[in-house]
Amino acid sequence: MYRSLVVLALFGAVSVAEAQDPGMTVPRFDQKHGGSKSMHMIAHVVNHPGAWKAADIEMEQDPGRPYVYVCGFTNFDTQVYDVRDEAHPKLVYHWTIENPELHRGIGAMDGKYFKIGPKYYYVQSLQFMQGSPDADLGAVVFDVTGLPDSTKVKEVARIRYPEAPGGFHNIFAYKHSDGRVLLFTTVGETKALVYDLGKVVSDTNAADWLIGAVPNPTPFRQIGGGGYHDFYVGYDAATHQDKFYGAGLGGYSVWDVTHPESPTQLFTVTGLGFDIAHTFTPSPDGRYAVTETEYEYTPLRIWDLASAQHDSTQNLDLAISAWTADWRDLSHNHEVRWPYVFVSAYEDGMQVFDLKDPKNPHTDGWWYTCECTHGLGFGGNPNNGWQGTNSVEQGAFGVDVRNRDGLIVLSDMRTGLWLFRLDGFKGWNGHDYGMPNISSVQDYDHGPDGSPHAAGGGQ
Amino acid sequence: MKLAVVAAGALLIGSALGPYDIDLFATAKAPAAQGHARLVFAQSPFGVAVTEDGHASYDVQITASSLPAPASLGRYTAYVVWVTSTDLSEWHRLGVVTNGTTTLGQAELNKFLLVITAEADSAATAHAGPTILHGTSPSGWLQSFLTHPLFRGIAQ
Repeated sequence: MYRSLVVLALFGAVSVAEAQDPGMTVPRFDQKHGGSKSMHMIAHVVNHPGAWKAADIEMEQDPGRPYVYVCGFTNFDTQVYDVRDEAHPKLVYHWTIENPELHRGIGAMDGKYFKIGPKYYYVQSLQFMQGSPDADLGAVVFDVTGLPDSTKVKEVARIRYPEAPGGFHNIFAYKHSDGRVLLFTTVGETKALVYDLGKVVSDTNAADWLIGAVPNPTPFRQIGGGGYHDFYVGYDAATHQDKFYGAGLGGYSVWDVTHPESPTQLFTVTGLGFDIAHTFTPSPDGRYAVTETEYEYTPLRIWDLASAQHDSTQNLDLAISAWTADWRDLSHNHEVRWPYVFVSAYEDGMQVFDLKDPKNPHTDGWWYTCECTHGLGFGGNPNNGWQGTNSVEQGAFGVDVRNRDGLIVLSDMRTGLWLFRLDGFKGWNGHDYGMPNISSVQDYDHGPDGSPHAAGGGQ
Repeated sequence: MKLAVVAAGALLIGSALGPYDIDLFATAKAPAAQGHARLVFAQSPFGVAVTEDGHASYDVQITASSLPAPASLGRYTAYVVWVTSTDLSEWHRLGVVTNGTTTLGQAELNKFLLVITAEADSAATAHAGPTILHGTSPSGWLQSFLTHPLFRGIAQ
């Protein structure tokens, strides 16, 4: 049925043409309801009354911590749901910026939980426009150890960066092989910032928090430069390096951040059509990667990084395959649990494909969560309620996967929080697939799988 | 999502009004309320009024419509206009406003928000009620040099 296998004539690369589920037609936009037999919708929560309900989503991983964090986007808030009873998510905590009616911006965008010692924390990224209160506020950090008792949740820090008003769009919490818990953030400069979260939660001198920066080596000079949009940080067990995979204006780049105070550039991925680079997620071993570019009609691209990871290739510019839910739309964020890729596919909702054969991605399941009018997505400005007139940026924004049991959560900009399970996917451990057990999920107690200190316990 | 770019673009879209105009936006408390403000230099023998430390001193000419009766929103008797710093740490009362045009003075902050709240006491010296209308001074839209898109490509 749906899956587009139509190769994008815009890019027309032969290597792309052989990917995706061949021979399938796309449905009419008004027929995008429900899902595949393999995908089971467990729960749906309409979490806000307005037109825009959510940006990204985060799910805790440890047993006994059934908490899902929904970033409230232009509602400027964070909601924490207890999904112990998966069919009935329960709102257990709600935070909103003070004086929300006086703030202007896109608000609560990305969230990550992290753990230091016995304590659990959640960091919420925020974006407020210049002229608004808190234009210098990038993130708020909460101690959430006491959940589900909302009275025990405490704000412990606010990360401000007045040098570049506009806040942090995306963030990534990383348990570094040296034992520190780091926060990588986007910012309105040609670099990503690196904060030591151990200092953020314990050191009252905010000047000590920022420990490094990763430059964007591919600024898109035609439009005035630009920084990173999103990134992934993972441990390379083969080379014993902590690696930063950044996507930003101008292209993608990979850095050795084993010493985050002095990152070293490894290679780039650039080329025609890749200027609006959005997301860059490698396989657990770093051999392959999935990338997104943010414009209508573009597919997710699949890359073989071997020649750059292990040889002298400095730049890659030819993907080995591509996948899209519907060539007329745009697929957004994704989580890789090799060989599965879980995609929050904007108007095409929850999608899962696999890379068992990386040159031939295969769709495994889907569920349409947006049920929206095609093309009337996010845009405009706060004065018109951020309503665009020619935008496919609406629907499924973020997705997360619980490794221990395979629960899938998704945030939809138009419809809110969704929980799913996929037939046959009962959880994920990289070792089951001959890979390091490395994904966006961090082992905060032991460090990255394969690192010399992996068994050393938490900080 | 390239929301960061969209948001930055929105800064430039703004209002079609001039550099002395402030669009006032309603809140959920009174969604039909409308308003607009114009900054007019306060009386001065020199034409342009400034404070001792050099900040411009403006009278604020507010035109409001569809403001409901304050009592319809709760135990309120008046709408009071405040000028606040953009970090909301400083609040200065300008005076009371009703439907129609009212001129109040003076706004003397470099960048500021204009906030109209419903208050129980028309003589309130501290804001306590809900926000009904709000807007940002044109100076508040000026961007930091470092973060202006035109300069992001310069090596740092």
